[in-house]
Amino acid sequence: MYIYEVGSEPIMAVLEVRDLRKKYTSLGGKSREALKGLSFQVEEGSVTGLLGPNGAGKTTTLKILVGLVRPDAGSVKVLGRDWCVDVLREIGFLPEQPYFEYYMTPRRLLRFYGRLLGLEEDHLPGKVGHVLNLVGLEREADLPLEKFSKGMLQRVGLAQALLGDPRLLILDEPSSGLDPLGRIQVKELIAEMREKGVAVLLSSHQLSEIEEICDRVVMLYGGREVAAGTLDELLYRGDEVEIRLKDGIPAGLAEKLRNHVLSEDKGKRTFVVKRAVQSDVLRLLTESGVEVEELRPRRISLEEFFLSRLREARED
Amino acid sequence: MKRVITVAGEYLMEVAHHKAYYGVAAAVVILTLMLPFLPTAGVGIQLDLFREASLGLGLIMTLLIALVLGSTAMRNEMNRRTIYNSLSKGVRREEYYLGKFVGICAALLLSLFFFWLVVLIIVLIRFQLFNPGLAKAFFTIWLEGCLVASICLWASMYFHPFISVLIGTLFYVVGHVKGHVLYRAMTSPDSNLVGRVVAGFFYFVLPNLEKLNINETVAHGERVFPVGAGKLALLTGLALSFVAVFVLLGMVSFRSRDL
Repeated sequence: MYIYEVGSEPIMAVLEVRDLRKKYTSLGGKSREALKGLSFQVEEGSVTGLLGPNGAGKTTTLKILVGLVRPDAGSVKVLGRDWCVDVLREIGFLPEQPYFEYYMTPRRLLRFYGRLLGLEEDHLPGKVGHVLNLVGLEREADLPLEKFSKGMLQRVGLAQALLGDPRLLILDEPSSGLDPLGRIQVKELIAEMREKGVAVLLSSHQLSEIEEICDRVVMLYGGREVAAGTLDELLYRGDEVEIRLKDGIPAGLAEKLRNHVLSEDKGKRTFVVKRAVQSDVLRLLTESGVEVEELRPRRISLEEFFLSRLREARED
Repeated sequence: MKRVITVAGEYLMEVAHHKAYYGVAAAVVILTLMLPFLPTAGVGIQLDLFREASLGLGLIMTLLIALVLGSTAMRNEMNRRTIYNSLSKGVRREEYYLGKFVGICAALLLSLFFFWLVVLIIVLIRFQLFNPGLAKAFFTIWLEGCLVASICLWASMYFHPFISVLIGTLFYVVGHVKGHVLYRAMTSPDSNLVGRVVAGFFYFVLPNLEKLNINETVAHGERVFPVGAGKLALLTGLALSFVAVFVLLGMVSFRSRDL
């Protein structure tokens, strides 16, 4: 099992993906490479976000991890074991827009999935009740699914993913169709899983959600990884600093700073300068009697990062 | 095996929620109830006619259910993506496929069992005869239904349900007429060598479904050709061998399929 040290804490790679390749060939003989040697890993107790535009290979990757699609090459290890169907009992999977047999009730559906997972018959009712409670569906447990809204079905999807006490949770668009309250609950649920040491791999188009929840991000484009790292590693711009003033910039000073300022907010209270000119700018501000409230390395939003990296990837 | 039974049981419950399933069963039962009132039922050997017609209706019901369930059981799950949730629970694809097939066979068996009870009761009331021997013919109808379902299920790995139904129907028709036609083509001195070899190949490779048809014999009270346990065992062996081949082929197709 791949183990490495961060400080004194040993961190285990729950999922290791190495050089994964997949080509789809249509009946007409046309082929499309969905994955071109993708590698990444997900550690226990962490939340990793899989990012990328449509067609980047996110869904193919997730499908390979749960055995719905066979890779042409590469390897997948779960908890140090080479992928086989038995490792799926350590994985909880929420597909995008999960579908169910609508004549069923959540309780019956979860019992069925529990049996497929090989859970003990005696423990099944308690286990089902627990996950229904986790996703807030205990009162609707015996209603037919045909009466459920999209958001409620998403909760059922989450419940079935959590049923086997997974060590690795794979979530494809977990907040899709959920109202704001539901989204908050999902975030809390993911945070709870992380606390329990569960490794979470999350694919989402909602960058704000990824930025809020994830510890690490793997960004895909054209079947390849184009960026990977912790959010701090990816979003902090080491050569730029952000300066926040207590009040706005006086008109005279704004003119003097114009050459140094890279960007500023609408209220002109926060602006970004190159680290190289940081001391010059601070001197000018102090001389003008402007009070600096905060000075920090610049951190761009995930959206900014995503768009700029996407542009670079397209140019490559 | 536990997972196979779980999948089969759940599929049986799913079938029980299909309105069309009850529609077919109800239509067949109603037609059977009407049989004694047919004008032609008043002449000749009424009991034999009733038995033959009701077995024919049972066969139609079984074929319809086998064609539809075989063509849709897996395909619909793949199209609706409900299969994602099940397969991600650590079920082997072979187990899942086999579970679905067993579920279809169980649905066919249950339908035929209830229909047999209906026919048994009508025969008892109308002709004052307790005739459980009809079960032999219903059993071979079930075997045929399983065979047709196994073909449709395999075809559904590649084709739209409509095409799978056509393939299943074609298989049924060819399986019934082939014995006579292919035997003639294989042995006729008028055929050329290639034609005789091809006909011979299909004669031996394709199952002869006509062998499974004991409806007429049973309908006429097995007066001329009694159907003993030995013959039933032989027919079961024949049908199950072909079913096993088609189910295995289906499993291999499903195993290598991207979903």
